Amino acid sequence: MSSKWTVWASFLLPVLLLGVLLVWFWHSTGGLRFEAPAPIEAVTYERVVLLPASGAVPERIVAHIRNVGPGPVTIAHVQVGWFSRASWDFSIVPSPTIPRLGTAQVIIPYPWTEGEPYEIVLFSSNGIPFVHEVAIATATPQWSARSFGQFAMLGIYVGVLPVFLGILWLPFLRQLGRRAYGFLLSLTIGLLVFIGVDALADALAEAQHLPGPYQGVGVIAIGVALSLLGLYALSRTIEARQQARGGEMSLTIAYLVAFGIGIHNLGEGLAIGGAYALGEVATGALLIIGFMIHNLTEGVAIVAPIVRSEFGTGRWRHLIWLGLLAGLPTILGTSMGAFTPSPLLAVLFISIGAGAVFQVVLEIAAQMRREHGLAFAQPANVSGFLLGLAVMYATGLFITV
Amino acid sequence: MWKGILGLGVLTAVVAVALFRWGGAHAGVRAALEVAQDAEHRFGHHRPPTKGSETYQYAYPARRLPAEAVYDPTPPPPPPRDRRVHEYELVITEDVVHEVAPGVHMPAWAFNGTVPGPVLRGREGDLMRIKLINRGKLPHTIHFHGIHPAEMDGVFELVPPGGEFTYEFVARPYGVFPYHCHSMPTNQHIHNGLYGMMIIDPREDRPPMRELAMVMSAFDLDRDGEADFYAWNGKAFQYADHPIELTVGEKVRMYVMNIFEEPMAPHIHGNMFHLIRSGTSLKPQELTDVLTLGIAERAILEFQYDSPGPYMFQCHLTEHMELGLMGWFQVKPKADRAAQPASHAHPAAGAGN
Repeated sequence: MSSKWTVWASFLLPVLLLGVLLVWFWHSTGGLRFEAPAPIEAVTYERVVLLPASGAVPERIVAHIRNVGPGPVTIAHVQVGWFSRASWDFSIVPSPTIPRLGTAQVIIPYPWTEGEPYEIVLFSSNGIPFVHEVAIATATPQWSARSFGQFAMLGIYVGVLPVFLGILWLPFLRQLGRRAYGFLLSLTIGLLVFIGVDALADALAEAQHLPGPYQGVGVIAIGVALSLLGLYALSRTIEARQQARGGEMSLTIAYLVAFGIGIHNLGEGLAIGGAYALGEVATGALLIIGFMIHNLTEGVAIVAPIVRSEFGTGRWRHLIWLGLLAGLPTILGTSMGAFTPSPLLAVLFISIGAGAVFQVVLEIAAQMRREHGLAFAQPANVSGFLLGLAVMYATGLFITV
Repeated sequence: MWKGILGLGVLTAVVAVALFRWGGAHAGVRAALEVAQDAEHRFGHHRPPTKGSETYQYAYPARRLPAEAVYDPTPPPPPPRDRRVHEYELVITEDVVHEVAPGVHMPAWAFNGTVPGPVLRGREGDLMRIKLINRGKLPHTIHFHGIHPAEMDGVFELVPPGGEFTYEFVARPYGVFPYHCHSMPTNQHIHNGLYGMMIIDPREDRPPMRELAMVMSAFDLDRDGEADFYAWNGKAFQYADHPIELTVGEKVRMYVMNIFEEPMAPHIHGNMFHLIRSGTSLKPQELTDVLTLGIAERAILEFQYDSPGPYMFQCHLTEHMELGLMGWFQVKPKADRAAQPASHAHPAAGAGN
């Protein structure tokens, strides 16, 4: 009894002392005297919406901003820059004074015109400017059945169709011999490693846009760990059950690959949808063609684990589920990217995708060794791996957003 | 078994849809649209400052420049002809919070607490005696344009913090002149706000007119080499918020000066002005409606309005205008003047410095 009390006391003592210290520090600043020579204010633009004139309501720009500085900030003045800047009328809701980490919407009735570059400058009451650049003005897509249909179709083109086309290679792949199969699995690993590294780079780049308090790199660590370890635990659980039933792991791995690629495609869709919505995609058709070729390889990666497994009648339905699992998230991604872009969610999804892809790489490598007795470190398999990287690189040349 | 995996897929879809909905609710376009429409209802009638003087608006309505913050554009009257010594005291402080645009504050250095400093006025041939008191932490000077001995030029003798110096010189010639601090780095000392206008009247007064003194300058708040605000008399759009009231037929003499390091092009709308370059002549040289003032150049513009209404006065460099170098003359019919003897006092009178 007394020992239990001792345990609790020893846990609570530092917490209590910290509480006392904090209260004292809050009231006295602990003897520290730091004064900033100038006000420290930071405001980020989370989203800038360009709305066309509708009826009697003129064109306007709506800037969604967040105060990421240490204290409250008051927005006092707005300028819109084109070739030169101009002070402009604005209103701001809910309040021109924004608390720390609070948000506001600045509504500027500015007659912007299609295709022009603009610059939005908000001045705080302390005369600190916060600038956002609109590279090419275009109306931000608004939520409607029609526009949703457009972005869903975009997702089908770049995500769903290519994956299914890749899966259609299955009958051909089943003709391959054992050595060729080792080559195919190695190629798949190469494809996936490239996707994973690319996703990490994207996540890091996207994390740079996140305001400091959101700790973008920390979000990446959480995302990668979440999927890498989560899928690891999941596959171990499934494997244990399969072994109990005497089943094989191939189809499970195929589903894991599809899942990982699906989350990756969600992140990819976010980027594509966002780029389209911001009018940053100059060569739309070329981009879509590039993604189609690029994502064709994803279909191959999904079916690679089941090429040599027993495949009785009726099990072909799995191919449909696999394709949907990998492809459908693209639609979700393009729509979210277009209508509700959130840099925080983008970083999270992209890093979850990266972790999932790396987990799948480990899984396929283990499958090669365990079920097929194939060593990775053979000239044929290493060249398959390198070819996988090269294929992704070459097809990726088309899709630099 | 496979049901489990399919369940995983369904779960993914559910989670993703939930996230989508969540995103839609928090950062959604629908919410933004509602807010925008609500704001349109409330503020929809406001216009950018160039679209008319009655309904123009360029800032959050609650944050317009208050009338008492407007810099009074009226210079002191011509001094009595028998006063042969004109004494002024200019106090420099470095901790002035200058409201450069409505609600936007910047730290400024100032003569007597205002940017620009007060208008000094003397008469040709009289003694100017101007006492500088330095209450700042840096050495300062006053450098006057015009003819004077080298030791009164405000370049060599720095007035230390806490120090004083009295400049004495015979005012000549008559005209319009800048005065400004000449401590180094001079760019910093001038554009932090240490400048103002000096008017030297000829021995024989110019014909009496309604007089306005207008200093054209600019402010680079973030020190990126590009001005963020331009202003008549130190505050962006102040005479747009509070138009200067004139009366039909009222003769106006406007003293203008450019103290920024870019050309300025004062322009009045719906009218022409008689131009006296540098103010160093009694007779106008030209009838025009726009003038390019080079760096530190100045002039006298004389005009009168024939019909009532709002008339813009601006810098014709459009960026200068759209960043604050713009105001309005609200010209009233003559009848108003007869009915209200006090109408001569425009809204800015008695305000500011």
